[in-house]
Amino acid sequence: MISYNCSPARSSWKAAALLAPGLMLLGATAASADRMERRFKVEAHPVITIHNPNGAITVRAWTKSEVLVAATRATSVVEVFAEQTGNRVDVYTHQVSGAATPQELRADYEINVPEDAELEIHDDSGGVNVSNVLGDMNVETIAADVALQDAAGYLTIKTVGGSFQCLRCAGRIEVSSISGNFRLIDLRTYNVRAQTSTGNILFDGAFLPNASYRLKNYSGVIEVRFSPGDSFDLSATSLRGKVHNEANLTPPSHHHILPRFGNALFGTFNSGRAKVDLSSFDGTINILKRD
Amino acid sequence: MSAIGCQEFLSRLDDWMEGKRPADTQAHWRECSRCRSVAGDFEAIREAARATAVLDAEPSPHVWPALRAQLEQEGLIHDRRERRAAGWRERLGAAFGIHPRPVLAGAYLTALVAVGVALVLPTGRQSSENPWMAHTRTATEPLQAHLASAAHDTISSLQSSDPVVAASLHQNLAIVDNYIALCEKSVSEEPDNEVARDYLYDAYHQKAALVAQMMERGEYGP
Repeated sequence: MISYNCSPARSSWKAAALLAPGLMLLGATAASADRMERRFKVEAHPVITIHNPNGAITVRAWTKSEVLVAATRATSVVEVFAEQTGNRVDVYTHQVSGAATPQELRADYEINVPEDAELEIHDDSGGVNVSNVLGDMNVETIAADVALQDAAGYLTIKTVGGSFQCLRCAGRIEVSSISGNFRLIDLRTYNVRAQTSTGNILFDGAFLPNASYRLKNYSGVIEVRFSPGDSFDLSATSLRGKVHNEANLTPPSHHHILPRFGNALFGTFNSGRAKVDLSSFDGTINILKRD
Repeated sequence: MSAIGCQEFLSRLDDWMEGKRPADTQAHWRECSRCRSVAGDFEAIREAARATAVLDAEPSPHVWPALRAQLEQEGLIHDRRERRAAGWRERLGAAFGIHPRPVLAGAYLTALVAVGVALVLPTGRQSSENPWMAHTRTATEPLQAHLASAAHDTISSLQSSDPVVAASLHQNLAIVDNYIALCEKSVSEEPDNEVARDYLYDAYHQKAALVAQMMERGEYGP
């Protein structure tokens, strides 16, 4: 059973269930997965919010001025809602009955949005995959991994244990986690803030002029790869761990106060146009030449 | 009936904490148990801060705006200008009539960390190591106790029916606890190590955020 509440004004699913039971029951059985699609016309810069406790969320950009929501739920233990309020489309999964296994609660979404859409996504477990969306994005998960490709805008990602991968992203990225690993590949971002406690961080992207890259973890490995033509000012500190460097750095020309604790490295590579700040508590920091 | 709503009241919290309480704000405070609770939480934070402060009897006037900014940044309270991008919890809460108490509890925890740690972080004045350590312990021990108590209560009420989620929350709480213990050890060994203190602050903040997240899970379920 897939249920949609499409009234322009906000209304509860309970009311919808009482008033329009025919709309709520779309002929599925409790034991089988079913699928439903819904389209919404939107204007420029629509906001799409998705709340799905358990399941995969795949969002792709397309050229149409509409949002297509395709939902597949495992059983009728959960209901799926999609509703439009102005230029915002809200999609969420709701558990109908109390006792259920995680498999029964699963709902997967495939959503097409205009490329200037803003996204707000919550997914506890399952996975989030977003491609070619250029609007701002806020993604929060607990165990779900997050993968973005060709995204731009202001990207804010928070996970508890889920990993984060960003391929060919631009704009600005703020990502935090406790145990998630980060892979930041082929980025063209002017501002990156990445912090994880026990996860590893890999940064293999362009160092844009005047950009700022701050990577921090507690343990694990921070690895940054550079090319001979890159230009950055580097600060790398590991309080209890090691710092390995393959960059031929020029010592800072100004007086630099060296920290009294830990292993630290400061210097300029080429003309130092980007700022790179790496810090770890007892992890290893590797600054390596790109292959 | 009061002339202002909850959002307006929350937008005036800074003034409220400074004692600026016009009639319409007071009227809303009397009528709205939810906002009264928020204001009470903030009062409790201030009292806790006063109780733990050795060097400063009163938090800096910058603390409340900073706290507010922090809470807004973390989405625990919302600026009116951000209504358009209001989160799913708020909409679900409104749709289902859910009282967002865990959000307030989360705000309380985060604020407690912000105030507690703001009071012990170096303020530019030079101080010898031993008084700094004593001061740090005075301020962080109650903080640690608050967080431990909140974590204990939350774990026992966690309703997540997804074992993957529950396991992730428990595992990561253990990671953060370990992280705090190691940072405290480092700070204890090297009291004037700013980097270790910075990591300790991060660890407390991370634990507060995680416990708040677990509280929300415990209240709402999946």
